[in-house]
Amino acid sequence: MKARTGWLGIGLAVLGVTGSVATLWMVFFWVPTEARQGVIQRIFYLHVPSAWVAFMAFGIVAFASAVYLWLGDERADMAALAAAEGGMVFTAIVLTSGPLWGKIAWGTYWTWEPRLTLTLLLGFIYLGYMMVRNATDSPERGKRFAAVVGIVGAINIPLIHMSVYWFRSLHPDPVVLKPDGPTLDGDMLTTLMIGLLSFTLLFFGLMTLRYGVERARHTLELRESA
Amino acid sequence: MSDERAVPGWLSVVAAVAGKDLRIEFRTRSRSFTMAGFVVLVGVLFNFSIDQALVRPQDIASGLTWITLILSGLIGVGRTFAIEKEDGAMSGLLLTPAPRDAIYIGKVVANFILVFGIVLLTLGVFGLFFRLDYGNHPGTLLLVLGAGALGFVALATLFGALTASTTLGESLLPILLFPLLVPMVVYGASASGRLLAGRPVAEVAGQGRMLAAFAVLALGAGAALFGQIVEE
Amino acid sequence: MTDDTSRPSSEGLGLHALRRRFGTHVALRDVDASLPAGLITTVFGPNGAGKSTLLRILAGSLRPTAGSVSWRGEKLDPRSADWRSRIGVLSHATHLYAPLGARENLAFHARMHGLEAPDLDAALERVDLLSRAEDRVSGFSRGMRQRLALARTLLHDPDVVLLDEPFTGLDSHAARLLEGVLRTLRDGRRTVVLVTHALGEGLALADHVLLLVRGSVRLDAPASDFEVDGFAERYHGIVDAAETGLAATASGSPA
Repeated sequence: MKARTGWLGIGLAVLGVTGSVATLWMVFFWVPTEARQGVIQRIFYLHVPSAWVAFMAFGIVAFASAVYLWLGDERADMAALAAAEGGMVFTAIVLTSGPLWGKIAWGTYWTWEPRLTLTLLLGFIYLGYMMVRNATDSPERGKRFAAVVGIVGAINIPLIHMSVYWFRSLHPDPVVLKPDGPTLDGDMLTTLMIGLLSFTLLFFGLMTLRYGVERARHTLELRESA
Repeated sequence: MSDERAVPGWLSVVAAVAGKDLRIEFRTRSRSFTMAGFVVLVGVLFNFSIDQALVRPQDIASGLTWITLILSGLIGVGRTFAIEKEDGAMSGLLLTPAPRDAIYIGKVVANFILVFGIVLLTLGVFGLFFRLDYGNHPGTLLLVLGAGALGFVALATLFGALTASTTLGESLLPILLFPLLVPMVVYGASASGRLLAGRPVAEVAGQGRMLAAFAVLALGAGAALFGQIVEE
Repeated sequence: MTDDTSRPSSEGLGLHALRRRFGTHVALRDVDASLPAGLITTVFGPNGAGKSTLLRILAGSLRPTAGSVSWRGEKLDPRSADWRSRIGVLSHATHLYAPLGARENLAFHARMHGLEAPDLDAALERVDLLSRAEDRVSGFSRGMRQRLALARTLLHDPDVVLLDEPFTGLDSHAARLLEGVLRTLRDGRRTVVLVTHALGEGLALADHVLLLVRGSVRLDAPASDFEVDGFAERYHGIVDAAETGLAATASGSPA
């Protein structure tokens, strides 16, 4: 079991890295420059796939947490932890690429753009998840607490999403932000899709490896306590 | 098991827990004084922090009310489990056959009464300090604030139980809670802002529905997950 | 310990391969024992023996890592509401609300158990606190709080009473009172599990004795097997042997 997880993880990670490298190549050398924003728009191909992965990862955290609370299977908690750590990394990528893009393209670091705002809040929920895991005397309780944070967070995110978009619709920003551009032409769409696929594979690779490490740690603990 | 044993009724537990919490609060006044004092002081500081020639309190009252409600509610609800921790009272409660979700709802009821009292105080204090105009539909205003307060209390009670059992304690509560309160503040402040500006009720119906949905989801999640949190 | 099938009614709490792990620390190590019904079993053991862990599992506060518990021959889930309605737990935490009065504390507890018309006066009288019924618990001494906690424990007439170091911090008056009340529990209806450090009081009250050291059962026998005088020596002998021969000692119970 351990060996299999290891090989699967490495395999996925290698695919992911290859795809990411290919994406980078496409971003810098192949895809045409977007008309309005110029070269800086190329951040889009890293920013958007990262956001996709960050939220998908949290979905996994929430689902695994629910399974953990329901069935009590430690492996579900390990999966949640692995997904959370990976998700945090990609959340950080979104939150650094976003303001950078904003500053260079439109002159401001932060404009409460709904998607970015939502990602910021997701970042805090992730932070809460990790803090709570380690803040108890009993590791067992810490895992349960984290699972609760994950589940409540996931229930809340659609509501937060609706509210920030609704808020923005009431107070439209004078600078019209259309990070996607009005339409995506063929090459741009291809680059985006490759980026999406690569980052997703990379995430699952990292998650699988992290899960493997956690399982090994757990097995070691069991051996030491015998 | 052969012989039948008395089982506490669900509503009876809710009433008993809520009553017990309120009675303790009435005797010790540990939370209500702190929260009330906080509200008055916010009003005072607010008065000194704005130039009323440039900014009308009436315009910012809505947002300020919600922030005050959240911060003072945080103080109050955060303490709700401190009392239970003394002498391990909550552990004793969990050794009884009383259902956990009923215990949770009982605490939510007590906390809601406390927080709604603070809402009324806040409106009163701001009305006094800033000659606030409550708009044409004060009843609806209270309803909106009540719905928001309920959702807030539901989440704060759940996470308050959680943080009470962590080494970081109550200081963890804002980090966990604030991201989740964004919908409440968005819809709530918008609705109360409009009502304070004299707008008709129909304009805030959508926000009201969202606040109600938020409260219902929060209560449901809390009731379902409270048992997981208090278990050792 | 084998099932005594000729007297099934004497079977009380059964512990089957009970195991509880906290990280790498094993608190209970495959504990098998039978605590007879209607009798008082005293659980002895040095610090870290796993006595409190055992009690918490029986009270439903803690889940075992492995193994099971049975009651009267049937598998038991100590975390069920039905079990909680049958047990009374007294630990060194009093589980009382200090701002409330003695009677109010009992009344609240009664409502948590769904008791319709509890006789609070009798409960208070039993622990000699009727005169202080309306006073707030915040003004009570440690001994008085423990007595009130005992009243609360017995209020719903539990079938099983679990006591975790109840003599801790009590003055002699309160200790004597507690011992007196515990003796009345020896009525054949109730199964009592008493965890204590106090060898003297523990043995005096015991019908059955269980000795745990480092999570394993070292002794599991009726109290009549022991002399009061020689018990302390025997106890220390077993504990020392268990502690020093930790890895090598097989779990030997003379039962």
